[in-house]
Amino acid sequence: MEMEFTREIYWNVGHGFLTLGPMYLLALTAIAILAYGFLLRINVYKQGQSLARTDNPGQRTVNTIKTALLQTSVTRVTIPGIFHGLFFWGFFLLFIGTTIIVIQADFTDLFFGVKFLRGTFYKLFSITLDLAGLVAVIMLGALFVRRYILRPEGLETKRDDALMHGLLFAILLTGFIIEGARMAVTEIDSPLAVWSPVGFVLAKSMSSLDEGGLRSLHRFTWWFHLLMAMGFIASLPFTKFRHILTTSLNKFFADHGPTGKLATLDLEDEEAESFGVVTLQDYTWKDIFDADACTLCKRCQDRCPAFTTEKPLSPMKIINQLGDMAFQGKMDAVVDTFTRDAIWACTTCRACQDICPASIEHVGKIIDVRRSLVLMEGEFPGEEVMSAMEDTEVNGNPLGFGYASRGEWAEELNVTVMADNSDVDILYFAGCFASFDARNTKVAKSFVTLCREAGIKVGILGREEKCCGEPMRKMGNEYLYQTLAMENIETLERYNVNTVVTTCPHCFNTLAKDYRDLGLDIEVISHAVYLDRLMKDDRLSIDGADVSCTYHDSCYLGRHNDIYDAPRQLIGAAGGTITEMEKNRDQAFCCSAGGGRILAEEKIGSRINVKRVRMAAATGAHHLLSNCPFCLTMFEDGVKGAELEDQLIPKDIAEILVENLKKKTDSAARGPFIHSK
Amino acid sequence: MKILVCIKQVPDMESKFKVNGEGNWYDSSDLAWRMNEYDEYGVEQAVQLKEQIGDADLTVLCIGPDRVKETMKKALAMGCDRGAHIADDASYGRDPMEIAGIIVEFAKDKGFDLIFTGMQSQDRASGQVGVLVAEMLALPCVTTIIDFAFVDGEIQVKRELEGGIKAKVKTTIPALITCQLGLNTPRYPTLPNIMKAKKKELLSIPAADLLSVDTRQETAAMYFPEKKGGGRVLEGENTDLADQLIQILKEKTSVLA
Amino acid sequence: MKTLLVGEYRDAKLLGCNYDLIAFAEKIGGESAMFLVGSESELPPFDGPLYLADASEYGEYNPAVHRDLLVQVVEKEQPDVVVFSHSSYGWDLAPRLAYTMQAAQVSEVVDVVDSMPVVPVCNSKLRRNVKVHTAKAIYTLQAGAFTSSREPSGSPTVEKITTDSSATVIFEGYEEAEKGGVDLTKSEIIVSAGRGIGKPENVEMIAALAQVLKGEYGASRPVVDAEWVEHNRQVGTTGQVVSPKLYIACGISGAIQHLAGMKKAEFIIAINTDKDAPIAEVADILVVADLKQFVPALTEKLQAL
Repeated sequence: MEMEFTREIYWNVGHGFLTLGPMYLLALTAIAILAYGFLLRINVYKQGQSLARTDNPGQRTVNTIKTALLQTSVTRVTIPGIFHGLFFWGFFLLFIGTTIIVIQADFTDLFFGVKFLRGTFYKLFSITLDLAGLVAVIMLGALFVRRYILRPEGLETKRDDALMHGLLFAILLTGFIIEGARMAVTEIDSPLAVWSPVGFVLAKSMSSLDEGGLRSLHRFTWWFHLLMAMGFIASLPFTKFRHILTTSLNKFFADHGPTGKLATLDLEDEEAESFGVVTLQDYTWKDIFDADACTLCKRCQDRCPAFTTEKPLSPMKIINQLGDMAFQGKMDAVVDTFTRDAIWACTTCRACQDICPASIEHVGKIIDVRRSLVLMEGEFPGEEVMSAMEDTEVNGNPLGFGYASRGEWAEELNVTVMADNSDVDILYFAGCFASFDARNTKVAKSFVTLCREAGIKVGILGREEKCCGEPMRKMGNEYLYQTLAMENIETLERYNVNTVVTTCPHCFNTLAKDYRDLGLDIEVISHAVYLDRLMKDDRLSIDGADVSCTYHDSCYLGRHNDIYDAPRQLIGAAGGTITEMEKNRDQAFCCSAGGGRILAEEKIGSRINVKRVRMAAATGAHHLLSNCPFCLTMFEDGVKGAELEDQLIPKDIAEILVENLKKKTDSAARGPFIHSK
Repeated sequence: MKILVCIKQVPDMESKFKVNGEGNWYDSSDLAWRMNEYDEYGVEQAVQLKEQIGDADLTVLCIGPDRVKETMKKALAMGCDRGAHIADDASYGRDPMEIAGIIVEFAKDKGFDLIFTGMQSQDRASGQVGVLVAEMLALPCVTTIIDFAFVDGEIQVKRELEGGIKAKVKTTIPALITCQLGLNTPRYPTLPNIMKAKKKELLSIPAADLLSVDTRQETAAMYFPEKKGGGRVLEGENTDLADQLIQILKEKTSVLA
Repeated sequence: MKTLLVGEYRDAKLLGCNYDLIAFAEKIGGESAMFLVGSESELPPFDGPLYLADASEYGEYNPAVHRDLLVQVVEKEQPDVVVFSHSSYGWDLAPRLAYTMQAAQVSEVVDVVDSMPVVPVCNSKLRRNVKVHTAKAIYTLQAGAFTSSREPSGSPTVEKITTDSSATVIFEGYEEAEKGGVDLTKSEIIVSAGRGIGKPENVEMIAALAQVLKGEYGASRPVVDAEWVEHNRQVGTTGQVVSPKLYIACGISGAIQHLAGMKKAEFIIAINTDKDAPIAEVADILVVADLKQFVPALTEKLQAL
């Protein structure tokens, strides 16, 4: 009975040399072509500079296998992600299945007479593959409909895609035809047939043919299927099919560094003739490899705040243009291909990189070009940006205020200045906007008031504080950034500061990550997290009055640092009822001021900040809460631009907390607050 | 061709000024320093001329204490070949004739074909030094330039006059030009040029070696101007202020009649 | 005290600054003479000797020759102070005379206190009194600092002067400023935008306020230089000098060149976050507020009237 639940492998085509010979020859040829094709591509990657991305190979391998097998990245966007996932699993199972058959037929059975494709195992094997194939066909059909009939905006369809759809369909369909033809001859009356339901249906539909015809059909289709499959393998390097390897490998080579941290240039290098990326060859091999990993899924483009407001920047296009230049061996300046307007439009919000299922790193490539424009040409997106840089060189802030008045906002609250007394619990790094901008000094004052209530001794650097250098760095001015950073680090070290808290996510991100490359090694906390800790430690008593609000996750707290919950808890405690915007958390839409663009004028397309404000207004909430001085500035502006002044009020989370503060009189008696986690 | 550009280091005008202890100048503490804005245009034009000529040597000169060397480095990074720092801790107290005299002592035997200066400095704003240097060296001089071209040994410039009118003037080298705001767009130094500037020659010459002219005037007193008074100051919430202002407009003017 | 006034003549017309010179001479008192490279057909309303050189012969801009003509007059008249306007003509010519006379020049005089000329420092944030050590001195006067309340009158005694001095530069003529559009000198109500508006988009709110007041909008130099507003809306010495009934300066600190262009307005309102801005000197009302919030609020209220 057991022996019935099996089938003859190589039935009808023969198991001898006449079959195996050409089969293996074709396979070897296909693999050789595959190897050759990739070798050609590797030579192109090698044009780029070196980059070390093989540390922790064990972890990297695990990540790669998990992402590829579980399809975690691609299914983040459910439609059509799950279509791809199901298709992949279907096709992958079929591949495993075919491999198992080859192992038995050409190895264990051939040499050792061992057959395992029988009995219950075979039944399960058979039905799994049948269903896998069916799911694969259906999903492929769905993807086909999406691409060719629904035609989503921005999705580029090329000949490559037609070839891929065609080839995959052919392989799947011929697979079923082979099965159907075989079953029509061997299994039409067998109880085994039900374990291959799809094949069974096909077999039934072919039952009108006579055995001779069926065998011919079977044999022909078998060889055709083999040819298609080998063609598939050989075509890998030359078509978008390469993403099976390149996209998976890109996970292996992914950036494990602190999120969003740029490479620190060695500006002392006397040998360096050039800074930033001028020609394609200034990029690294990984930058070029990224282009090969791209499948033009356009998820980056869909989420880019610049692209969706009619600026000429498309992250996807940058990657593809880079790839084109690499494969054409172009030596001219990359900025002419990318265009300056596109390069300057980026806000470094990381929506592209965050969603990319192929682990492509878009942002660094753009900043690299900015670096060459600024450092090698002294070029900026506008005179207003050059002025801001010069103001920062003279007075340590891009707003044009005299450095000596940097701590004046704190005078009315008598905040301790480190130069007078450095015995404090935390150093509050206010940042340029909180120090000088009329709207944002309110946030600084709110934060200090909250700390006071919690019994925390706050110190500020005042006039000794300089811009953290972040907008300058993101604009490409690595030299000015490093100059400012070194000065700030020297000051912080001089005062033996242990803990820094900031109300600006850009300062936070820069001091916590970027400054480490330059030697700063202290604890840096964002105010959202810090206030949350104070609350959890019962040092802040907030008497929440019901406030209808929506909350904007800033890019530099959100996507750059995964801080999503602490601010929400704070708002909840303050009595806020958050009506979330559609695009929230990691899908939040940038306010437009990142990437140094707080210094620049927005001249092209429609206003990004107005677009975001309208998203907030659509929630019906009365307050738009944020955690960043740039966001707050952009929203105050955007609310006017959208003419929503009375309907939507922008505020910082520190402000909403201080407004609902119930004064505690015993905070000081609570003793010191342990700042390190 | 030999070119000289004279620059001055001035305080950033956004600084909070205080009068010094002697009461005869502003206190130099708590000030951020920068290149005199008019001189930035001079440096840029001089560098552009050097780039046009090719075989040209450009010297930047600055008088003042040691801190002015930072500003000179920016000029070097913009493209000047060498710097001549006239070390003088008391430069703030010197009158235009003395300053011009120092420059002339330095420049007189060096055969400069063209000298650029700013039209005036942002702090003292006497606007005399450039013209005085030209007179002392007997060079033709045109001031307040907002357009410059060097064509076949001839200098073709445009002066900016009141009302936005321009006067077209030309002369031959050697000559001296003083620059008005808007003459060009001063470049931002590139990093390789900043690096190179660190190695360029920057000599310090004590001012005493070059003092050739006596002082003709001095500051008797420096002080903050008295508020005129008579002007009302309104402060408060925007809506209240608007109401107040409208009331005043109705009372004091006829615009809302 | 004897003064020698150096008048100005351009494009075949006498310039307005000549009145300031005459008003200064009256304030100082004493004898006064005048020097002018101009034309017999355009004589300034000055009661005193006028040394006149023919502009059509010597050119309207010919500094070395003008200097030599002037030196002749100085030697003859022996004034204690030679007075120029602090103008594109004055600051070009005065130092040449200062060198020839080896006399101290004091630039941009705004006042005379205890016989000492007073000049602004650091964009008018400070002032200083100058003690001159030379027997003779040269002053250049800030535009509008010495205006007389009444129109001067008089006719000068003309003495023609000549020289055979050669020119060191060649003057080739004038180029008009960008034309077309608004003529602010004719506007009765002007609302001006300064650097304080922050960005070009905010010009709109200034224009809106001007519109609701049925006036025109202007701007200070930095706003025009940044190309946020066209040049014919620039108020100041290198733009338009205006004298409206109402002038509202928004986010304008009050650089001297701007003040010179609008000081004569009948009623001046300044909107600025800085209480110490120099514009407060000339303003009848200073509203301490952020113009970006206040201007729209004001406009709205005015619209509702």
